[in-house]
Amino acid sequence: MFDSLKKKLQNIRTKFASNIEEAAGAELEQPVTELPEGAEAVESGVTPAPPVSGEVPEKEREKPTFFKKVKVLVQEREVLLREKDIEEPLFELEMVLLENDVALPVTDEIIGRMRKDLVGQQRKIGSSVDDLVASTLRSALCGVLGEGLDLSHYIREHERPVKILFTGVNGTGKTTTVAKVGHYLQKNGFTVVIGAGDTFRAGAIEQIRTHADRLGIKTIQHQAGADPSAVLFDAVQYAKAHDIDVVLADTAGRFHNRANLMNQLDKIRRVMKPDLVVYVDEAVAGNDAVIRADEFNKAVGTDAVVLTKADMDPKGGAAISVAHTVGKPILFLGTGQGYDDIMPFQPRAVVSELLGDEA
Amino acid sequence: MLDNLGTSLKDAVKKLAGKTVIDRVAVDELVRDLQRALLSADVNVKLVMQLSQAIKQRALEEEPPKGMGVREHVLRIVYQELVRLMGTPGEVALGPQTILMAGLQGSGKTTTTAKLARYFQRKGLRVGVICADTFRPGAYDQLKTLCDRISVPCFGDPNEPDALKIVREGLPKYRKLYEVIIIDTQGRHALEENLIEEIVNINEISHAEHRWLVIDAALGQQASEQARRFHEAIGIDGVLVTKMDGTAKGGGALSAVAETQSGIVFIGSGETIEDLERFDPDGFISRLLGMGDLRALVERAEEAVSAEELDVNAMLKGKFTLRDMYKQLEALNKMGPLKQIMSMLPLGGMQIPDDAYDITSTKMQRYRVIMDSMTPPELDDPSVIGSSRIQRIARGAGVTPEDVRDLIKYYKIMQRALKGMRGMGGGKFNMQRMMKKFGGPSR
Repeated sequence: MFDSLKKKLQNIRTKFASNIEEAAGAELEQPVTELPEGAEAVESGVTPAPPVSGEVPEKEREKPTFFKKVKVLVQEREVLLREKDIEEPLFELEMVLLENDVALPVTDEIIGRMRKDLVGQQRKIGSSVDDLVASTLRSALCGVLGEGLDLSHYIREHERPVKILFTGVNGTGKTTTVAKVGHYLQKNGFTVVIGAGDTFRAGAIEQIRTHADRLGIKTIQHQAGADPSAVLFDAVQYAKAHDIDVVLADTAGRFHNRANLMNQLDKIRRVMKPDLVVYVDEAVAGNDAVIRADEFNKAVGTDAVVLTKADMDPKGGAAISVAHTVGKPILFLGTGQGYDDIMPFQPRAVVSELLGDEA
Repeated sequence: MLDNLGTSLKDAVKKLAGKTVIDRVAVDELVRDLQRALLSADVNVKLVMQLSQAIKQRALEEEPPKGMGVREHVLRIVYQELVRLMGTPGEVALGPQTILMAGLQGSGKTTTTAKLARYFQRKGLRVGVICADTFRPGAYDQLKTLCDRISVPCFGDPNEPDALKIVREGLPKYRKLYEVIIIDTQGRHALEENLIEEIVNINEISHAEHRWLVIDAALGQQASEQARRFHEAIGIDGVLVTKMDGTAKGGGALSAVAETQSGIVFIGSGETIEDLERFDPDGFISRLLGMGDLRALVERAEEAVSAEELDVNAMLKGKFTLRDMYKQLEALNKMGPLKQIMSMLPLGGMQIPDDAYDITSTKMQRYRVIMDSMTPPELDDPSVIGSSRIQRIARGAGVTPEDVRDLIKYYKIMQRALKGMRGMGGGKFNMQRMMKKFGGPSR
């Protein structure tokens, strides 16, 4: 899914690298006019290195900053990166991130980190520029993506039944995700019960029941229009009585700006006391992803995130945005319409893939 | 965060105020803020760049029309360019037609299908719905439940896996019985070749007059690509934006409009079946930018340019027809309460009877509808309107004859007031200025 972002990021890396090279080149060229009696040439290794004198004339001391640069250049063979050297590729990086659905504030954050880390860096001449850019970008991305979460591990570590509540706005794929997660947990040897907590949307109970029947999972359901808290409470009771490992609680989609519906969700949380509140959003969502993830987190808390419909979008920028905003690990990516189309999310692997590492 | 964006945009606009020449720096700043606002509303990056280029160029090159300040000039350009970006609202014919719904998973097709059925039903058409979503469990139950609530028939079979078969069976049957047929389909995205093929086939066998794409307001940059593929597959001729009751700005829909060369037809903004609105570009722009008063600002600006349409002189000669009043009402509708406007006019001790003020916006709306039911001769010379004509007009406009008489009474009050104005006030200059304001922007 991250293919396009990956390709773009690689272009940007080259761009950064070449700009930094140019900056280095400029630094190196300047002394040439100042020092007519050029001595031994310093090989920069990447750029064609102009000759630089080993001895700096007296008058250079009057311009301390320039002198410092030359000194650094000559003695430590490093180049000081300045803001304007990387301004253009940073702008391009910004555009790439935005085009790939990374939300504006998150883009700002990544750019900010890049700028902070790169400016003022002294780069050793001859050391690979690419490495520097790659490692900066990696740390910026890792910084915003945070850690992943291994659900199987979590369940083993906690008292059963582990209660997982799924929240999110309308149409992000909560019900489908509940079915997929149920299937995933079954495959990993856990027993599962599903609480049909979406009692509002027409056809929602039928939908989750059909999924569960196909997967051989027990569903606890009431009638349409019933109190979802009661349904989910029953589901938890059922799990306790039958020694079930995991309760998956589906809920109706709701918008974060509907106070009543958010209160209802809060009530559900109080009644069923979930171990994990999983916020479900779609990977194709734009900037609003950030706002609503934030609102849900404030209203009922979020422990982990599932991003659905990742197969629609080869970019995956929303993954970065939502993960960053919630500051919570991404549990799964939904990648298709089959029950197996769900994959655990490992940020390090994603970043490595984005940056095209062999490792 | 978004409020901040709106504010920073407003600040940038404020900086333009009071300037006599257009300042490159200020324009740059405005454009940058505009870009940020649009980008965070999910408008396609390329569209934003094109738009800001166009605005920058026009703002710096075009001379502001006489009598228009720099701020108004730039705002007008911004507004015009945004409207251009928005496309024209898609046409919705109230006649027999078949509509094919297409869209991504979870964008709200089924809910919107039911809302549309309700819309056409309310317009007095016989509506039938076909559920061609054979994949998602519960899809038929969902649509059936929604349709039952509004007593609209819903054709489908939850046990039939072939969507084409359902359409093939249901369509001829429903075509005989109903005027508007809406086909709900399964959610799909552009990369699912077999599903795209399915909808191409459904489109072919259904010969749908309209193929509408349902777009979630929260959809990001991906909107463009998805819309393009759908357009290639079945030729989208209208876009429906759903979930506008959240905080999403719906910028993705603009990408879809740009890709499909179509217009936005409806906006879905709530969970009940009635929550469907026709698209209103101004509301949409305000929402995109997070500032509500752009249109008002622009209109006040345009007043300076195009207020000459009313035949001021004829009116001053006492020839005040219903047509003029219609234009006035239109203008007043946009400008605010009559009393407020009258208080702005240089009328001296002139008294307008209180009855003239006593007109609410709903009343104004009704008056306009009534006037729409009049014939041209009646509009030109209201004295021909007798009781049988009143009967006819009332029936045409769907109001009581009292309402029509009410309108005529109001017209007479206004006419008398205007006659009274003649020959007083501070000379012609003042009069014309007053009329200009009174007339407002009538386009």
